[in-house]
Amino acid sequence: MATVLSPRARRHVELLDHAWRERRGLLGWLTTTDHKRIGLMYLFTSLAFFAAGGVEALLIRTQLIGPAQHLLTPEAYDELFTMHGITMIFLVVIPMTTGAFGNYLVPLMIGARDMAFPRMNAVSFWIFLGSGVFLYIALATGQAPNAGWFDYVPLASKQYDPGLNIDFYGYGLIFNGIASTATAINIIVTIFKLRAPGMSLNRMPLFCFAFLAAAFSLVFALPALTLATIFLELDRQLGFHFYDVAFGGDPLLWQNLFWIFGHPEVYIIILPAFGIATSIIPTFVHRRMVMFPLVALAELLVAFLGFGVWVHHMFAVGLATMVTVYFAAASLIIVIPSAIQIFAWITTILSGTPEFKTPLLWIVGFIVFFIVGGLSGITLAAIPFDQQVNASYYVVAHFHFVIFGGAVFPILGGMYYWFPKVSGRMYHERVGQLSFWLSFIGTWVTFFPMHLVGIDGMPRRIYTYTAASGWATLNALESVGAYVLAAGLLLVIANLAVSLLKGPRAGNDPWRGDTLEWATSSPPPPYNYAVVPTVSSAYPMWDRDDRERDAVRLDRGEGVLARGHETPASTVQDAEFDEVLAMPPHSLWPPLVGLALFVGFVMLLLAHFVIAAAVGGAAALLLLAWHAEAPREEAGAPVPGLGTPGEGAAT
Amino acid sequence: MSAVGPTAGAGAVRPPRRGPTGGPAGEQIAVARSAQPSGVWGMALLLCSETMLFAGLIASYFYLDFRAQRWPPPGVAAPQVLDPSVLTAVLVASSLPIALAARRARAGELRATIAMIALAAVLQSGYLAFQVHQLAAELPALHPRGSAYASAYVALLGLHHAHVLLGVLLDLGLLFWLVARGLSDYRVTGVRAVALYWYVVNAIAVAVLLTELSPSL
Repeated sequence: MATVLSPRARRHVELLDHAWRERRGLLGWLTTTDHKRIGLMYLFTSLAFFAAGGVEALLIRTQLIGPAQHLLTPEAYDELFTMHGITMIFLVVIPMTTGAFGNYLVPLMIGARDMAFPRMNAVSFWIFLGSGVFLYIALATGQAPNAGWFDYVPLASKQYDPGLNIDFYGYGLIFNGIASTATAINIIVTIFKLRAPGMSLNRMPLFCFAFLAAAFSLVFALPALTLATIFLELDRQLGFHFYDVAFGGDPLLWQNLFWIFGHPEVYIIILPAFGIATSIIPTFVHRRMVMFPLVALAELLVAFLGFGVWVHHMFAVGLATMVTVYFAAASLIIVIPSAIQIFAWITTILSGTPEFKTPLLWIVGFIVFFIVGGLSGITLAAIPFDQQVNASYYVVAHFHFVIFGGAVFPILGGMYYWFPKVSGRMYHERVGQLSFWLSFIGTWVTFFPMHLVGIDGMPRRIYTYTAASGWATLNALESVGAYVLAAGLLLVIANLAVSLLKGPRAGNDPWRGDTLEWATSSPPPPYNYAVVPTVSSAYPMWDRDDRERDAVRLDRGEGVLARGHETPASTVQDAEFDEVLAMPPHSLWPPLVGLALFVGFVMLLLAHFVIAAAVGGAAALLLLAWHAEAPREEAGAPVPGLGTPGEGAAT
Repeated sequence: MSAVGPTAGAGAVRPPRRGPTGGPAGEQIAVARSAQPSGVWGMALLLCSETMLFAGLIASYFYLDFRAQRWPPPGVAAPQVLDPSVLTAVLVASSLPIALAARRARAGELRATIAMIALAAVLQSGYLAFQVHQLAAELPALHPRGSAYASAYVALLGLHHAHVLLGVLLDLGLLFWLVARGLSDYRVTGVRAVALYWYVVNAIAVAVLLTELSPSL
């Protein structure tokens, strides 16, 4: 893995190259189960949706640039702001973090060769792609969801929204939720089972703790959304009465179920960003994170507490004071684990020797925005204030600071940080810094004035306003900010695209990073590591003797596992070597299952329930056939360099 | 080895160190491992998600119940107690052959595994057939378009029946591959994962039953 390989080591690498050889061309991408290729497919797909969501945002801002504009009709405006929200949350941030970053990096960081369920991983991607196409068919046919991303009934009921718009929303999100749940389960099992022997939980990178917390939140939060949308479709398509007051239903049931999902969702979005920040900071300040165990616990605690605060989205609906006060208090408690992390990042940066390269700049920007968004969040936890600014632009300002500044900035920083690893090339540093400053200024100018117009009473989701309102200047400023921000983001893409073709070679470890992904080549080979890495701390790349030992082990053929698609599994807590897993290679079943589900959801949308059931039957038969390919098995023979399965690691 | 402690993670139940070489074909079955296999973990997490779905469903049922003047609404009879209770008892009893199937599979006994899964599948399908028949008979009087009560009642039962149907399909898929290919570590994990599915779905059945019968209790 290091510089020059001895002939013996080269022979082992050749064996691995042969065992992990992949199909070429389009078929290779279609049938791949390689977590890195799937991660890249997630990245490019979610970038495409990011562009779509960005265009929607620019259209919204252009419509609002002055009073009484008529670029968009009120109906088109409704569809655009709804699609902007759905796109950015379900088709950009979740797939970008768990799908792209999680898929590509978690196995690399824990020294594994793939995800725990490679074929299910592929199926997650195809389902995600199908759900995105499903939702954008709605926009293309002029029937896009139009009741806002949280889709409150009764506005979203059949009576007030009779078209297919809301049905696209309901089935699109159920469809999308399957992909997210599968990815989350995959991330958890991968982290529990596939860590390199020696990487006990206390030596796992904080990045993986953050993704673990986000994945657990997804598993437990998404069912509430699925249930709410099942009720919605039962109401809309079959005439049930969950949300219909006239028949004993209750619209607040929707709000409760939606926000039981919706608030943990905020942490599902932000936790991976925390993980990216805790990866970038130690590398660029050249020191370990301070308070490692506290930060790990804070990440998990944020995810846990996130389940107990949903009613703070409903302070204005007239609930009992006891209830609202409880949830206000619970919301304030989240400040504690959030502050632990913020202070840990700041302390780490101040006590190290920071090198303000592009990735770290994005993280500093993130910390600034997260603090501002967090402070406005505290104001919103104060019930009387919340009731004043509820559904105004103040709320829009708050959550864009948290979601755009808090989640998207680290994602962009992460794209710069891992670009050399993924592409093998370096981006242009000066252009990278310029793209940061443009985006940073653009974000301030776009979103900060929204606080002011919000306090001044401008409601969110209005398609225009009068000159007499006095909101014109600040709105014009916001729109200009949006164009500056768009220029910054285009510069990010341009920098990375040009560098992909012309950037200088990066080498394995251009940053002297701390986590394992920097130990392998850039881009990594299909099997990630020629030898199962030795791990004895949470900063394995800074343990130079371990890396030297790996080179010796490769030479001796210890822990190489070159008989097929193999990766070692270890025990959940202590990561003692437990068994050798034979991972499935490429498979055509995942895209076929994804396609069947897509057809099934289209049939449900059109209320052809019998055909949908038939397609479901076909999907079941595909899954039956899928299991014909069982992995090759050998009883637990000792593995050189790893020990005997189930009896603890030898190293 | 590490600073965390000597216990091995999730390995609450330790399988035999070495796979017994039993079974009709004399195959080697259980791999020596101290943690649960990935398949069991994956199923356990899926079941966390499904449990949350039913928790939300039951909570929604009582949410609407507590807000209603009368529950069930006037003109709708309270559900009868005996039939669903007996049926649920049958479903819960099917956990026994399922547990035995998981045990026999780990011991490498193919025929016993197949027989136990088949027995369980018969009980579960019988339960499902009776339940669907009953629900279909109740529908005209209830009609879910009539009230929020009927909506919640039908959704509660319908979603649970869908889970039983999925479980029966999992049984049939397992039986197909066990008959066609015999036991392997991969399929032993499959049997264990499906067994776990049934334990949870059967436990949820009891919660669903109590919710469903709550107006009559």
